[in-house]
Amino acid sequence: MFPVSNVTKMKAHAMNTPLIQHLTNVATRQGHVIRRRDFLRNITAAGLAASTWSWTDTIAASAEQMRSQGMACILLWMQGGPSQFETFSPKPNHANGGETKAIGTSVPGIQIAENLPFCAKVMDDLAIIRSMSSKEGNHQRATYLLHHGYLPMGGVNFPSLGSNVAHQIGNAANQLPNFVRIGGRLANSGGGGFLGVEYDPLVLRSANRPPDNTKPLTDTGRYHRRLRLLGSMESTFAENEGSQIVSDHRKLVESASDMIMSPGMDAFDLEKEPTSLRASYGQGEFAAGCMMARRLVEQGVTFVEVVSNGWDTHLDGFNRTRELTSQIDQPMAALIGDLKQRGMLEKTLVVWLGEFGRTPKVNPRAGRDHFPRAFNAVLAGGGVRGGQVIGATNDAGTEVTDRPVAITDFFRSIYHALDIDADEENISRVGRPIKLVDGGEVVTELFG
Amino acid sequence: MLRYIFYLWLFIGTSLVHAESPRRLAERIDQALQNEVFAEQAQTEEILLAPRTDDITFVRRVWLDIVGDIPTPEELTAFVLDPAQDKRSQLVDRLLANPHYGQNWARYWRDVVFFRALDERSEIAAGAMEADLTEWLNEGRPWSEIATEFITAHGDVLENGGTAIMMAQDGMTEETTAEVSRIFLGIQIQCAQCHDHPYDRWKREQFHELAAFFPRIAVRPVRDLTRKSFEVIGSDRFGRKQPKNERFPTAEHQMPDLENPEAPGTQMEPTFFLTSAKVPWGTSDAARRSQLAQWLTGNEWFATALVNRMWAELAGEGFYTSVEDIGPDRTPVAPTAVKLLSRKFKESGYNLKWLIKTICQTEAYQRESRPQRGSDGTPFVANVPQRLRSDQLYNALLTAFDVKEYQLPRKRGPQGGKDPRATFAEAFAYDPSINRAEAVASIPQVLALMNSPRVNQFFHNKQFSVVPELIREIDHDEDLTVELFLRCLGRQPSPEELDAVKTYRKEGISRREVFEDLAWSLVNCAEFQHRR
Repeated sequence: MFPVSNVTKMKAHAMNTPLIQHLTNVATRQGHVIRRRDFLRNITAAGLAASTWSWTDTIAASAEQMRSQGMACILLWMQGGPSQFETFSPKPNHANGGETKAIGTSVPGIQIAENLPFCAKVMDDLAIIRSMSSKEGNHQRATYLLHHGYLPMGGVNFPSLGSNVAHQIGNAANQLPNFVRIGGRLANSGGGGFLGVEYDPLVLRSANRPPDNTKPLTDTGRYHRRLRLLGSMESTFAENEGSQIVSDHRKLVESASDMIMSPGMDAFDLEKEPTSLRASYGQGEFAAGCMMARRLVEQGVTFVEVVSNGWDTHLDGFNRTRELTSQIDQPMAALIGDLKQRGMLEKTLVVWLGEFGRTPKVNPRAGRDHFPRAFNAVLAGGGVRGGQVIGATNDAGTEVTDRPVAITDFFRSIYHALDIDADEENISRVGRPIKLVDGGEVVTELFG
Repeated sequence: MLRYIFYLWLFIGTSLVHAESPRRLAERIDQALQNEVFAEQAQTEEILLAPRTDDITFVRRVWLDIVGDIPTPEELTAFVLDPAQDKRSQLVDRLLANPHYGQNWARYWRDVVFFRALDERSEIAAGAMEADLTEWLNEGRPWSEIATEFITAHGDVLENGGTAIMMAQDGMTEETTAEVSRIFLGIQIQCAQCHDHPYDRWKREQFHELAAFFPRIAVRPVRDLTRKSFEVIGSDRFGRKQPKNERFPTAEHQMPDLENPEAPGTQMEPTFFLTSAKVPWGTSDAARRSQLAQWLTGNEWFATALVNRMWAELAGEGFYTSVEDIGPDRTPVAPTAVKLLSRKFKESGYNLKWLIKTICQTEAYQRESRPQRGSDGTPFVANVPQRLRSDQLYNALLTAFDVKEYQLPRKRGPQGGKDPRATFAEAFAYDPSINRAEAVASIPQVLALMNSPRVNQFFHNKQFSVVPELIREIDHDEDLTVELFLRCLGRQPSPEELDAVKTYRKEGISRREVFEDLAWSLVNCAEFQHRR
């Protein structure tokens, strides 16, 4: 700590007079002000006009909020690995099917599990893939694989699906971020990776609360005043080494302010929905997430992921899965109906997916374990032809017998639906070209 | 006789310690840069070397670089007024002796390792790595010994920080191999995992021969009902049965057959790709890993990788374009300088403090900063502003407002309270191995500094922050303005900035509000978030 009593002695060879002066005026010890001296000063009434730099004034409701052209994607993610037998691929005629019964759907000949009565009614719009197949039976690696289309590889920071989509077709003029994840941080689900943080998702812990830090802590008047003051504190650094940094920083502060002041922020407020529509989505976090996803896509957000947790049902699987399906069935069907009714379904791909399926054999604790070899996924909208089932497994559900769909095939199909060339190459940080999807083929039956 | 022993001691002493004087070596490095970079460029264009930075900028820079924190106004003033000729090198010595030196760099390396973790659950090992490495760095242990700890470690990941790399790679053979090469040699040999390296000399066999040093390791949950942990094991007992999957240890590494991935593959002999030195099949896990550590830490690329990384962190730009992609097929911008510094670093006994001291003494380090150069700009004509890492930024916030870290409430969560520093890192941490130009800020970060109650309490909450007291005790507006500038930016306000505050003051808002807003503005400006 600097000894205050030495100040006057050192003043003799001072190289920096103002510093000394400051120190004689203000001295502190361990953060507490211990001494101060009043100086009479002439404060000239500087006639400086207030800064005219007022980028926050430019906030205006953009007329382009409605996404008229571009594609969007909503990923409904079932964390833990949903059982195919208790969702879209029941096997009521085999012991492996367990106690789960099948029900008919709006499409004659297609049956799904009794747990999904609402989805059964919108089967016309759904394409079920019953022949998804992978080798990853570990949650972490499989979650990574089904979010990236790649397995984790030391040294390469792959972008997540949502980040790639935002990067490829995101709307740069949008005041909201192009990738939003609802349901909190999800381990191994990735982000912008080597594309950079601007493609990271904006993560919402819950659809019932606004995103973190988007409410100014002061009233609007003071908030704008502060921003103006901040603007006048940036010039010293900008004039010297920080020219580029400050100009980037100003843009960020501007877009962040634009975002939180934007009318589009209303998308995060579910209270704005009519009660009847809210009722149609049902109750719970996932229902709120689905409704918010629709509101965000409506505001021009390109990729929204809604996470449902708890699908790792090793124990008491039938009861627990019933509980989980009751949380997602009505919201998922309502989302598809709502998008369709607004004419948004053609431009919005909805994907229902988990990291793997569950074992055909029911274990002694009435649960099912991890099973990546044959599981299911559902697609709707985005040009996907609904009312069909792609692929099949044998009666026991242990093997894919028809039309196996690899993870790369699945990813390629998603990009295809979104009009993105999956062979597009990003350049990783070490200069290595990396395709959006390496290998695989589009599942053409999905389209046309 | 006694005198003879004394001379003998002197002789042995001087011959054992090869460390060249940092000052002399710094001059030689600057000379080398002059000869091979500036003189060359000067033939075609005028070279404008940035002047030596002033004292007040130097103090903040060297504080952030060495101890990861900003200086208080008292420390700034004392340094600026100190008449000593060698005060800069004295300050560097003082900071290297400060325990926060070890902590700052341990946190840096923790981020290097865990930003590439395969699985986020491995982060439970991050605390042990930070604690152990802090101690090793503060003790001045050679970099070669530290690397050996990481390569040869086993045991509980909550107790032995050396297990961090293997834990972060889930004990997987190929992933661990890739990370050891990337972190300690700066060589991206894993690109040769599936095919011969497209731009480098490495063959697919060489990657898998290196992987053959790590087939016997695995990460296992620790059986303990009272806490959750994992351990790194090295197994030497193998039955005839094939392991269940790739997460189980195997006696020897098999290079998969690309045409037929289900086939057993080719058994690889542990061979160090840079020298082709081998250990025989059947060697125990401990013996093969310690042999690899010995060969790896004796190799020139081991010294070069560290020297290049530290130079990039301190001087703002590396000799090689990337800190994690060097090697014989990459061309450095100043080959003589990097060779010289690497050789001397090895001769110093891989002494990290010596290396930092040497770099901090160079003119290249002490120059004023300029914006990141374009691809046609001349390197090293100036230092480069660096975006603060999460821990540096957090320390700067605490120090600027005299906030005691231990007083801050912990967030309640299912697994007990979450450390506010860790919560802050969720928003602000970045991978320190990427090129710094890519470590850009994001909207959530900007929002967190502007609007989060956790940060904003630092400007007005009497319980934690010094600001209310400063406003109460310092009557004079200009003094208060200067005080806040010194605290936040480590410099005095310009006349324009003083005027801006005066004008703001006249807008009819309360004095308290004016200066809280000033504190808010100073933290939210780009300058606060960078080291100049």
